[in-house]
Amino acid sequence: MEVNETQFDAVSLSILWNRLVSITDEIESTLVRTSFSTIVSESYDLTVVILDRQGRLVAQGSHSIPVFIGTAPRTLSYMLQKFPPDSLSPGDVICTNDPWMGTGHLFDINVMRPVFKPNGDLVGYTMSITHLPDIGGLGFGAAATEIFHEGLRLPIVKLVEQGKTNPFIIDLLQANVRTPESTIGDLVANVTCNEVGGRQLLEFMDEYNINDIGSLSEAIRSQSELAMRSKIQEIKNGSYKNQIMIEAIDESIPLVCNIEVKDESIDINFDGTGECVKRGINVPFCYTNAMSLYSIKCITIPSLPNNEGATRPIHVSAPEGCLLNAQPPYPTGGRHAIGHFVPGLIFGALSEAAADKIQADNGMIDLLTVQGTHPDGRPISTIHFTAGGFGALDGLDGRDCLPGPSNMATVPVEIWETITGMTVVSKKMIPDSGGPGKFRGGMGQEVTLRNDTGSPMTVLSMANRTEFPAPGYNDGHPGTLREHRINGKIIHPKGAHTLKPADTITLVQAGGGGIGDPAKRSREKVKRDLSLGLISEHAAVRDYGYKTSK
Amino acid sequence: MTWRLGVDIGGTFTDFALLDQAGQKLAIHKQLTTPLDPSAAVVDGINEILKKNNVPIADVSVIAHGTTLVTNAVIERKGVLTGMLVTSGFEDILDTGMEQRYELFDLRITYPEPIVPRNLRKGVFERIHFNGDIEIAIDMEQVLGATKELVETHNIKALAVCFLHSYVNPSHETSVVEFLKNEFPNLYVSASSEVYPNMREFERWTTTAINAYTRPMTDHYLQKLENNLNNLGFEGQLYIMTSSGGMLSPTTARRFPVRLLESGPAAGMLMSAVQGKAMELPNILSFDLGGTTAKGALVRDYKPLKSEQMEVDRVNEARKGSGFPLRIPVLDMIEIGSGGGSIAGIDERGLLKVGPRSAGANPGPACYSKNGENAALTDANLMLGYLDPNFFLGGEMKLDKRASEVAIEKNVGLPLNLSTLRTSWGIHDSASEDIARAFRIHAAERGFDYRNATMVAFGGSGPLHAMGVAEKLKIPRVVFPIGAGVYSALGLLASPLSFELSRSRRVIVDDIDVGMFSSLFESLADETTKSLKEAGVLDEEIRISRQIEARYFGQTHEIEVFFPEEESLENIFSGLRKLFEERYSEVYSFAVIDAPIEIINWKVIASGPEPDFKMGYIIDSEKSTKVEMAIKGSREVYFEKGGFQATTIYDRYLLAEGMEIVGPALIEERESTCLITVGAKAFIDPALNIIAELGD
Repeated sequence: MEVNETQFDAVSLSILWNRLVSITDEIESTLVRTSFSTIVSESYDLTVVILDRQGRLVAQGSHSIPVFIGTAPRTLSYMLQKFPPDSLSPGDVICTNDPWMGTGHLFDINVMRPVFKPNGDLVGYTMSITHLPDIGGLGFGAAATEIFHEGLRLPIVKLVEQGKTNPFIIDLLQANVRTPESTIGDLVANVTCNEVGGRQLLEFMDEYNINDIGSLSEAIRSQSELAMRSKIQEIKNGSYKNQIMIEAIDESIPLVCNIEVKDESIDINFDGTGECVKRGINVPFCYTNAMSLYSIKCITIPSLPNNEGATRPIHVSAPEGCLLNAQPPYPTGGRHAIGHFVPGLIFGALSEAAADKIQADNGMIDLLTVQGTHPDGRPISTIHFTAGGFGALDGLDGRDCLPGPSNMATVPVEIWETITGMTVVSKKMIPDSGGPGKFRGGMGQEVTLRNDTGSPMTVLSMANRTEFPAPGYNDGHPGTLREHRINGKIIHPKGAHTLKPADTITLVQAGGGGIGDPAKRSREKVKRDLSLGLISEHAAVRDYGYKTSK
Repeated sequence: MTWRLGVDIGGTFTDFALLDQAGQKLAIHKQLTTPLDPSAAVVDGINEILKKNNVPIADVSVIAHGTTLVTNAVIERKGVLTGMLVTSGFEDILDTGMEQRYELFDLRITYPEPIVPRNLRKGVFERIHFNGDIEIAIDMEQVLGATKELVETHNIKALAVCFLHSYVNPSHETSVVEFLKNEFPNLYVSASSEVYPNMREFERWTTTAINAYTRPMTDHYLQKLENNLNNLGFEGQLYIMTSSGGMLSPTTARRFPVRLLESGPAAGMLMSAVQGKAMELPNILSFDLGGTTAKGALVRDYKPLKSEQMEVDRVNEARKGSGFPLRIPVLDMIEIGSGGGSIAGIDERGLLKVGPRSAGANPGPACYSKNGENAALTDANLMLGYLDPNFFLGGEMKLDKRASEVAIEKNVGLPLNLSTLRTSWGIHDSASEDIARAFRIHAAERGFDYRNATMVAFGGSGPLHAMGVAEKLKIPRVVFPIGAGVYSALGLLASPLSFELSRSRRVIVDDIDVGMFSSLFESLADETTKSLKEAGVLDEEIRISRQIEARYFGQTHEIEVFFPEEESLENIFSGLRKLFEERYSEVYSFAVIDAPIEIINWKVIASGPEPDFKMGYIIDSEKSTKVEMAIKGSREVYFEKGGFQATTIYDRYLLAEGMEIVGPALIEERESTCLITVGAKAFIDPALNIIAELGD
């Protein structure tokens, strides 16, 4: 294809843009295949991006999770403050896990590599972010009361200098984490995938004779912005408000959002949201921002590849010090346990203005950190992911056991047992757990794990929805609640617990919310749910007014 | 003289290729597929092609058969009511699946309904530890009760038996199968340890469920086909093509119908590899572009790359992740949502987009004049002069260029503020770009360097786009093979009998000795050769090749390591680390790590003798003596460099060995048109393949 480097039409822009996204996909694929933790390779808790010379995001991998939208350019600018572009050399790699400069908690490592042409010109940057299997401290959980309990904080540092890895950083990690092999292995996978990315980017520029991706990057952003603006117009103008209660640690705290939709732009603020708490569930603003942008993208231009342009018409703010804009030294480890409520909060506010687009809230994903020793003697520190029910949409039932808003996949039972030495005793859907509605919420599930490793284990719960279920909208009903139990006894949903040998932990997953009045649900669907055992006869009568033959 | 016959049932046509033993004479035939009873078209076509060529059925030694029967049964849900016995507590695995969304922002994603509905999945108390120990012994009384209920109350006809960790210790599954054979002799039972003895319960169980679901119909179909062939007087051997490019005896095919998925496309891909061997081109990108999809595969060192993963029944606009993830041996095919019927439109960004929605064959592109209003890829190709409106399918179908123009202008050009010509070129080029991108990422993930490879192009639209795709990938050479119209049917004749089996068994190499290493391959070798012997292959004719999937200890993704066939297991074992590291740096192109090596999967492929397939066959036609005499005419054809140019049109059937054609040129044959781009040079080889070298 012949390309004019500064002017693009609907054909050339489409082709070049798709190609950039496919480069990020290739970086992702390298990352996944060379990683040492199931957190990356099975659960895809990662992101990769390409940024232009000015540090603006051009393309993001298709599997990158929503949490990381918009964080990379900020992280890069912090990195460049410390290491200005003219001080960088080919083969340098810079990293940090600082929550306020990165993605909101210490577990995510941000790894950046500048891309240089053979003639020494800096053309842009690639960055990858993954959730490390361990970073020391208490481990991935909500139990910390200060950020200092949560693990090693790595300030912005040159991990690799002109191709040579700084041995001190590796030693430092080695000395501070429970699983040095997989933590360092994943760090190396991040470095490798950025190398691949840089090579691909140069090949791309070479192939199309592009000297500077700046104008392409600007064209991509403008086009995205245009697309976003025109879609926002489909949402009814007005001021909308929603308030929900969420379970903090020992109290309930309100989350509040106020949304102003005006023609082509949206303003979201979280004024009225409760204060930070002394446990690791506080949400730094970068995470709140990402979740807000994610919500709007879902109901406007879901298939548009992610970049900054699409976020320009959306303004997000939250008062400093509130739960959704935490400041140091408040701990943030389990930020997702609160942050995942943001999309539902926003969809609730827009439930009338965009009734055909919004989703009833999700049962959400349940992350359980598991630490201990495998029967073969190796240390274990990993995360067990379990999905609750997906929220319903107008016209579509929520899928059973599907994660949202984040998208980390479960680890197959056979792999989980093999890597941890635990036994998965059972994994079953819970009938009647999906919120009734014209379109019902997805079912939750119950998973029971037994400690068969022969030595005590520590499990860190970060469960939400233990008091406030996933709301349904527009007359849809809520799903059921989440619960963690050890040997049948309910435990603190955001605490650290010991699992003695032969103890079991049961993870009861919340159902998704329903949409629309259940009385209006098609009778065939009620009948089908009954015959498949997804709802009980009792519930069919109670929730749906179904007349059984008996 | 004896003959061999390839029969490939496709969606629209059933293709026949009849080849004599000497590899000199090839006859081809096409017949409309008869979906209600596919064997009808098979029998009619066999009669027809034999009669036309004066070949008595008694002279046919082999009929090699590929069919879409199983694929269609899954997509159209035409299998039998199937039940499932699973480890108690895991009845919902088919519903919960991977617990991951395949699209992050599109909340309206859908998944296929499980093949076995929830109420037909029954739990059985039993448990195998991940190390193979029996933790809870199986209770046959309970098995009997559950199966009785499924059979008597629900009337199931097939049953999938799926227990956790059965790939390490299949004894529970095996004893259930044995037990039920006596109790319910008419029930079709498939066990997961037999169908795919590998880790990951969701994929293994899904594969097993689909195997069970399609067994009765495959059984009936093959029975009927065998009867019909007997009635015709056929006394040779019937072989069935699998997804991995090997043939099975009907007996084995009946047990593992899931392995017949996508066997037609696999045959075409395999044929490219055979073509490569004949032409001494070791590395090939096989490229098939049809009406609704494009498929690709890579051939390295004359061997098509294989995989164990495929997806069937994608329910959401062909999107990756929206189908059933299956685990069977397959040729590692790329599925691309581009075809002649791909609809051009405007995406959410406000930019040009081609596919994945397709107008299919009905109504088809606007130019088909079947009330299709959408602008499709074929419409763009017509506007650019690549297709002759009066010679589509050899002139059997007239194309309406005006309809294409209107559709492109109205649906795409005007809204995007582009001229119709720019739009048409954009549609053509975007499709090529999408295909090139799919090849690029597929090749990169497999460490395949395509820059010195050759593309082999076939399918209705493949030869039109091949050089465009090759230019984008900087591939120096494109082959347009002879017989491309029935390429899969030809591939069937080139495929050996072969059966492969892999099993998960996690072992750290430092922990085992050569004895254990060899013994882990032994049972696999026994099982695979057994299936070949069933098909009449002699012991001394069987070749065994072994491979492992391994990784550095602690990693979670494996790479395939192939063992040289001639090497002893002792030597392989002692050089294992070196073999692994060579492969590792090939795939990831970076330094190796100082960590133990862990083997996850063990695989054995047993193959019978290579079929007596000789290239050099020709299709009878009058050849010209001079290239000028093969010219049909000239028309204005669009190229990115230089716009419309007067371009010579050749008749492929008149081209003879040694002729040379300089691009731009079009070479027309009945099923497709080869586009030779500006600056490229094409020549005709002795087998009448067209070989085009790209210009600079």
